[in-house]
Amino acid sequence: MKHILKISLTFLFIFLIGTNVNAQRKKKLADKATKECKYDIECVNTGKKGSKLIKVWSYSKKKKYATSQAMKNAVHGILFKGFSGVGRSCTAFKPLITNQMTKREYDKFFDDFFKDGKYGGEYSKYVTAANDGNVAPGDVLKVDRKTYKIGIIVNVLTDLLRKRLEEEGIITGLSSGF
Amino acid sequence: MMRKAIYITIICISFISINLYSQAKKPTLMIVPSDAWCIQNGYATKFENQGSIQTIPDYKRAFQENTDVLQVISQINGMMAERGFPLKNMESAIKTLESNSAVDNMMTSKSGSDTNESPIDALRKIAKADIIIQLTWTVNKVGPKRSISFNLQGIDAYTDKQIATSTGTGAQSFTAELPVLLSEAVIAHIDNFSSTLQSHFDDLFNNGREIILRIQTWQDWDEDLESEFDGEELGIIIEDWLADHTVKGRFSTTDMTESMALFEQVRIPLYNDKGRAIDARRYIRDLSKYLKNSPYSIPNKLVTKGLGRVTLILGRK
Repeated sequence: MKHILKISLTFLFIFLIGTNVNAQRKKKLADKATKECKYDIECVNTGKKGSKLIKVWSYSKKKKYATSQAMKNAVHGILFKGFSGVGRSCTAFKPLITNQMTKREYDKFFDDFFKDGKYGGEYSKYVTAANDGNVAPGDVLKVDRKTYKIGIIVNVLTDLLRKRLEEEGIITGLSSGF
Repeated sequence: MMRKAIYITIICISFISINLYSQAKKPTLMIVPSDAWCIQNGYATKFENQGSIQTIPDYKRAFQENTDVLQVISQINGMMAERGFPLKNMESAIKTLESNSAVDNMMTSKSGSDTNESPIDALRKIAKADIIIQLTWTVNKVGPKRSISFNLQGIDAYTDKQIATSTGTGAQSFTAELPVLLSEAVIAHIDNFSSTLQSHFDDLFNNGREIILRIQTWQDWDEDLESEFDGEELGIIIEDWLADHTVKGRFSTTDMTESMALFEQVRIPLYNDKGRAIDARRYIRDLSKYLKNSPYSIPNKLVTKGLGRVTLILGRK
């Protein structure tokens, strides 16, 4: 009896470690996709003053990873990708960071700013989910046998984000140098 | 040890002095309703000028009677101030001019003398800024639906170049009131506008400030721009000076006759050799001195307009 218990506990332990390692691996893959701009971003509406209401399309094998990565993708998109205007209610938006970064600078910035903390990383201060994070039925698409494309609407606080980047000296403000 | 301390003190002082003078001259910005908007909305006056009818915008009446324009200007002013670049308020500038004018009219010295004002000074008493943000919007109606076409143009007051812009037509709405549509338009366009303005400032810091230089001659001067000094025409001498002193030798000679010359796209450095911020007046003063001294010995008068336009009149003060 004692022997069976020992074996079961060992298996449980190995299973838990395996699950954790697998989750870590998937998180790393999702971060890599964000880093390489493997997501789409489109404008939903003008939004409130100082913010942008956008829809982020993330790609993942599992729906839950695409959903959790959407916030990161949204902030990354505002920083490095921008979006084109859609229809008449949206104007195009240039990315906040337009100056060239070396790979080393980019890696350091990405690792620091998008690091996941206990209560969310630094980036999470500048993004909130609209619609309580719910995904509309039409926004879950199956791209191929293994990949989902999931669209989530989020609100990014672009003015605060820009101010933070100006304070860090990553971008220059309008009054810099005067 | 003592010598080391002296060196450190000198280095510290030079750093402090560089920091004191390292800020470039900040241009002023002001939002002005465009002529088209003023005329379309009836804020214009007509007068006859040498036989032809001219229409000019009546800004004062526009600010007094149209609350929409005040709302849009106030909103843009606020958003630009949040970006660290507060704008000059045109309505206040007009009021200040009127109040100054009233004070000037009443002011006399103890001996009863009036303050000096040349006709040129009187002409220049207008609300002005280095960069004019021209504002236009039109309300489009299709049946019960309304939308706003919005246009913001940043124009350099000296070179007349459009240096920033954002324009577009918003979504149609059945219900939204005009102030709401206008507010949405401002929010939608301000980021693009400030981003293009930022590109202009980046260019200014990289390639120098762009100015316009006019050279004129007094009628009673015996020489002209074709007169030769040491075998070289005066016009060419001025061009050579500009080539040597502009950033990367950049300038264009737009016009050159015996009596006048016009140089455009003259790129001047933002700081002089001492690290002090300079504008067109301080920069062209060196050319003025150069021409005043031998072997040219040409007395001249320097007339400036803001940060970026200078006229040098040769032959007399």
